[in-house]
Amino acid sequence: MATTQSAPTLTFPRPIFAALSPSPFLQAHLAPKNPIRANARAPTEFRKPGLNTGSLTHCNGSAVVRLGNTTVVCGVRAEVLRAEDVPQPIDPKADEEDDVEEIDTLRLLVPNVELSTGSTPTFLPGQAPSTFAQSLITRIRSLLLSTRLVRAKDLRIMYTPPRTTEDEDEEVQPEVKAYWTLYIDTMFISLDGDAFDAAWGAILAALRNTMLPASDWDQDLEMVLCDDDVKKARKLELRGLPVAATFAVFQGEEDEEGEDRSWVLSDPDAFEEGVCRESVTIVVDGKKGSGKIRRIEKSGGTVVGREVMKGLIRRSEERWEEWNAVLKG
Amino acid sequence: MPLDTSTYSLALLRLDGRRWNELRRLHAQISTQAAADGSSYLEMGNTKVLCTVSGPHEGKAGGAGGGPRSTQAKIEVEISFAGFSGVERKKRQAKDKRTSEMSHTLTQSLAALLLTHLYPHSTITIHLSILSQDGSLLAACINAATLALIDAGIPMTDYLCACTTAAPPTSAETEAGGDPLLDLNGQEEQELPFLTVATVGKGHAVSVLIMESRVRMEKVEGMLAVGVEGCKRVREILDKVVKEHGKRFA
Repeated sequence: MATTQSAPTLTFPRPIFAALSPSPFLQAHLAPKNPIRANARAPTEFRKPGLNTGSLTHCNGSAVVRLGNTTVVCGVRAEVLRAEDVPQPIDPKADEEDDVEEIDTLRLLVPNVELSTGSTPTFLPGQAPSTFAQSLITRIRSLLLSTRLVRAKDLRIMYTPPRTTEDEDEEVQPEVKAYWTLYIDTMFISLDGDAFDAAWGAILAALRNTMLPASDWDQDLEMVLCDDDVKKARKLELRGLPVAATFAVFQGEEDEEGEDRSWVLSDPDAFEEGVCRESVTIVVDGKKGSGKIRRIEKSGGTVVGREVMKGLIRRSEERWEEWNAVLKG
Repeated sequence: MPLDTSTYSLALLRLDGRRWNELRRLHAQISTQAAADGSSYLEMGNTKVLCTVSGPHEGKAGGAGGGPRSTQAKIEVEISFAGFSGVERKKRQAKDKRTSEMSHTLTQSLAALLLTHLYPHSTITIHLSILSQDGSLLAACINAATLALIDAGIPMTDYLCACTTAAPPTSAETEAGGDPLLDLNGQEEQELPFLTVATVGKGHAVSVLIMESRVRMEKVEGMLAVGVEGCKRVREILDKVVKEHGKRFA
């Protein structure tokens, strides 16, 4: 319990106080000189991510991420899309860095998030995906494309036709015969706030864990043949390591001087998300000083301005170092 | 065919190196989710199932109108398959007939097992998430549901434990008829006729028996006997898991 100078003894227990008046409950925790949240974290403290990769048998890559009581499972399945089944084939661009259009148009990355698994009482199983789930999927998809995380060349299955002419100088151009489509399925086992960070972290870890089998186009059989030798399988060559950090802004009651009191809480849990009206999500790639901002999303409220945003970006860079340590080993 | 391999006829070892009466690695954890009333995670080989129980709580359709059910708790079972669970990525609809059949079987068997008369006008919701399928799916769901219900503290008479058995192979070599196989994986389930059996308690009380393939009458008794023995062993393992969990509070 936070000890304030003139706190009267409560006649009912903490959880009831939290349920009856959540805002004053949280404010009572944050008001003193050393603010502490109801979950005993400092306002700038994130939950340490727990990670386990490669546990699912039928997947090309998988990861289980725990952020406190939020648990997410992500599985990546690769399936073949034949180039002749594509209505409007796309020429692979000469510039390898500019391959987003190929992935976007052919829908080679298909993220999906399943929230209605009984993960929390608000998301009961058997329901249609809620707007929250749908918006989560859209945000993840747009982040996957805008960070250009997956290279199109990793997803192409090429075929070099044999020489038809005797001309030694003529180059034989390899053709794209098929693509790998990655179905990225994320399932929430339990949700205690900060769904986006957990889902993105799991997807990132699963993609880093993904192995695609060595595959060739067989001209006689007219199909893609895959080699089941594990040594020949290759990992995806991802671009960078974008890490997401979400913040919630808690706006308390005015204090004695009539000034607004507000705190920005890192990595909110379900209780804090319930009382906060403003949230910011920042995606950065790189450590302090040399990081690049990949995305800033802000919704609701007027508390976070430029100065506060700078502080949040610094916090996100620190978070990048935490995730980097967890993902790399 | 899983049993046509030379290793089986020579050394009587199945594709994964087991003998006819060996269970796969059964790993179970109880109370895996703090937020749910009861939860469990169970692995039978590569079949991985997660179960959460919430309840008993007030039913959705208000208690006033209840018919014969209102003197007992109502059990609801929901099963959801993760997209990455099977060999092919097939998004199973919630109203899929096979899924409905599985959940109906679970509802019936659990309604008979749990002491539902202690919770009139309420509903117990059991949700199963299938993370990976590799045979014995219904059996794994039954075992996971049992553990999660124990974690939720809902009273029951005894453990409901399940496993699968397949018909013994008959070929020229095995004149005696061969032994029924215990605990099938995905490949064996597709090729051989099999049944799922669940028993209550240590004895021979069979609560669930499902068989969907054709088999000769003479073999059924043998399969059932092996299945019941297998369920006894599953019961020992599940009991150990529950007792280990209880030791934390000792």
